[in-house]
Amino acid sequence: MIQTLIIVILIIIAAPIIGGILSGIDRIITARMQNRVGPPILQPFYDFFKLIGKENIIVNRFQMLYVLGYLVLMITSLVLFVLKQDLLMIIFIMAFGGVSLILGGLSVQSPYSRIGSHREILQMLAYEPVLIFMVVGIYLQTGSFTVQSVFDMNQPLIYSLPLIFIALLYVLTIKLRKSPFDFSTSHHGHQELVKGMLTEFSGPQLALVELAHWYELVLILGFIVLFWATNIYIGIAIALASFVLEMFIDNISARMTWKWMIWVTWSLGIGLCIANIALLY
Amino acid sequence: MESWLVVVSILFPIICSLLFLLLRSPVIRNSIVIAASAVLILTSLGFAYFFGQASIDLHDILGIELNEIVAVLDFALLAYIIYVGIRLHSRIITILALAQLIPLAYFELTYREALQRSGALFHLDGLSIIMVLIISIIGSLIAVFSIGYMKKHEEHLKLEKSRQPVFFFVIFLFLGAMNGLVLADNLLWMFFFWEVTTLCSFLLIAHDKTEESIKNAKRALWINLLGGVGFLAGIILIFGKTGGVLVSGLLEGNNVPSELVLLPVAFLCFAAFTKSAQLPFQSWLLGAMVAPTPVSALLHSSTMVKAGVYLVVRFSPVLAGTHLGFMVALAGAFTFAVTSAIAISQSNAKRVLAYSTIANLGLIIACAGIGSPVAVGAAILLIIFHAVSKGLMFLCVGTIEQEIGSRDIEDMDGIMKKMPFTATVAAIGAISMLLPPFGVLVSKWLAIEAAVRMPVVLILIVIGSAFTLVFWTKWIGKLLAVNYIKKIPREKLHPTVRSTLGILLVIVLAASMGIVFLFNFFVSPQFAGITEERIMGGRGLLEIAGDGVIGSFAYFPIFIVLGALALSIPFILRKVSPEKVRQPYFCGENCEIEGNIGFRAEADTETPSAFRNYYLRWAFSEETLGFWASMISAILIIVLFVVSI
Repeated sequence: MIQTLIIVILIIIAAPIIGGILSGIDRIITARMQNRVGPPILQPFYDFFKLIGKENIIVNRFQMLYVLGYLVLMITSLVLFVLKQDLLMIIFIMAFGGVSLILGGLSVQSPYSRIGSHREILQMLAYEPVLIFMVVGIYLQTGSFTVQSVFDMNQPLIYSLPLIFIALLYVLTIKLRKSPFDFSTSHHGHQELVKGMLTEFSGPQLALVELAHWYELVLILGFIVLFWATNIYIGIAIALASFVLEMFIDNISARMTWKWMIWVTWSLGIGLCIANIALLY
Repeated sequence: MESWLVVVSILFPIICSLLFLLLRSPVIRNSIVIAASAVLILTSLGFAYFFGQASIDLHDILGIELNEIVAVLDFALLAYIIYVGIRLHSRIITILALAQLIPLAYFELTYREALQRSGALFHLDGLSIIMVLIISIIGSLIAVFSIGYMKKHEEHLKLEKSRQPVFFFVIFLFLGAMNGLVLADNLLWMFFFWEVTTLCSFLLIAHDKTEESIKNAKRALWINLLGGVGFLAGIILIFGKTGGVLVSGLLEGNNVPSELVLLPVAFLCFAAFTKSAQLPFQSWLLGAMVAPTPVSALLHSSTMVKAGVYLVVRFSPVLAGTHLGFMVALAGAFTFAVTSAIAISQSNAKRVLAYSTIANLGLIIACAGIGSPVAVGAAILLIIFHAVSKGLMFLCVGTIEQEIGSRDIEDMDGIMKKMPFTATVAAIGAISMLLPPFGVLVSKWLAIEAAVRMPVVLILIVIGSAFTLVFWTKWIGKLLAVNYIKKIPREKLHPTVRSTLGILLVIVLAASMGIVFLFNFFVSPQFAGITEERIMGGRGLLEIAGDGVIGSFAYFPIFIVLGALALSIPFILRKVSPEKVRQPYFCGENCEIEGNIGFRAEADTETPSAFRNYYLRWAFSEETLGFWASMISAILIIVLFVVSI
């Protein structure tokens, strides 16, 4: 019991530090690829503390509730993940967190925010099935939905679920809202939707959104680690490599349309999943 | 004791319904509605209290054979339907009623003695008690809600003479018939009650007597009569093959090999598909929403469509592991995926709810078709959670519609300002249909586990779930959208309306929190007789029974997290001071137009801000999907019959 509590507290403290540093690395590498020097590695934390200290400007009373919902549910799903609980439920709770942020975006009467939120809904439509198929693939291998069962396996998951792994990498780009799938919070220089779903969040709210996103990042990378859970260091190395790959993709690709996204994700992504599941039968 | 409960739960609502026809004073009627609802709810709780598997033989009352009474009533009912068909000049209704009357008469007369000998007439188990609880509690609450709703409804229609006596007559008749349907063990009794619910739904849909309502009621009647013909064919075939008409004899005797009764059960599933408005029979349920909203709430949540899924779940032991079971699962899952997709394209709130109902029924049928204990557990849980949440959602939409005069989701933008109570309740209701840790999602989670051995079914369920996320989220977004307002107003509602919404909300939350209790108490006893090898992928089920843990997943922490979040709401609301409020960004100068937010567009024209949800009609509309979906599902049903021969 006490041990569990320590793990929970540790992960709640450590996850945003890891997530923040990864964002810092992301920004430096991105800058280098664009022939810029880039900010210091701790810049995300400076940004966070600057935002959290700002005046709490609101558009309606409820925004903070949705932001807190996003944050708390992301933390919950990460904690459940670290405690090796049910993976399918973790994905559902993560989805609830995502929905909470979307509702926050929809709750204000700004067309920018609402279009961004609708695009985020479509992004969820694109990636949710792939995530669920991933869990189903794991179930077919282990006979259980739990994270624990993955760690109990003798051989890495990637041997039996290679196609699902590729599909997961693919939806990772959508989940992290990176180019070519950054419709819902398009920024990165192209400003036509201002900042999409996040347009009307400011100051402390935005800081908390950023914080929640760090938890989300760690959790998603955790999913990748699962694919080589027999040796967790290899798993972490693969996760970091995937993260760097995402940065490359982010920088070399232009944003596509959301119709294209759904079309490709559903045909290619789900196709890969189904093919992989068919292989397991 | 149980036999008294059975008699009260069936006959008492029917007696009350007759009272409504005789007593026309609104005050007396309303008090009877409330009192009768209380009695019905207490009776159903009595069932839960005295819970146990039991067969009850009420062979005769005062020396008259009950089987004879039911047979006579059945003929009277069919004769009345024929009369309706002739009066409405609907040939198809007349023909379908005759197609039941003639075989039924032949069957009853030829095998009169054998049929009379059939023993236990009612059977109690977890499933039927769950159904009685749903029908009696949700149904009664909807009846109480109707008091306030129908008052306003008739004021709006400016009727000279109130038609409420007939309305409440049919509602309570409906509840009594539904209770009879789920308690009956004799298939002929079940068939009688089945046809009563068909007639009741016809009367309720036609209640407003407009041209459209009569047209839609006719369609509902003939589609359900078609199902009735299938039901009767199933009964006659079962009798022909096994020599009995008792459900319990068929399922528990273990002396009937399931191959023998596959074809009759296929007919029963066909009947269930019509009643539960599965593709391609969905049109009657969509048309049914011309009726006053409490009717929709009743049809969609606790009665009518639930009769269909009840039948499939009841016969799921026969379906498990057969080709027929696979086809039933496939047809259900197909309906789930397609109707969830179509719901995305709908902006009419009642249509969204209707498609969502059809989808959830499809999912229930899919689970029942799989037939493993996990699957059937998921199906029963879904029946419960869908009933409470959908009942609540319809009542909310009805309340909103009476206030704003529209059922379009686009018109619900900013409803929070006018109706904060109803909007919040509706949003929680919608969340309970979609997100963890509420029961619908937990059941879906079970359904995914149950479907793992049937990849095609699984894929349809996963894809359908993704669609449900889209249409619920964008609707909840509309319900909760709100500008800054200084003071949240208090909403005026009829006391019966406010109290039923509140009670239903509490039931929704309590049911989800008590899912482990519900499962252990009502659902798992269903599987007592099932042997180990028939459990397919049953790990989750075994883990479910643990203490406070659903599957391998600790369930309560999520409620604690959400509870903490809910407790933070007053704090968040209190902290806001007006000078910190800004208008949303419009890429230009903001302005105010009649209290709404707008902006200065070209040439300084003041333009109100407006945003319509995405409906993706190019992909998901009824026009693009409807025809093909109906064709494919019709083929699935044909194959379903072929594999069961």
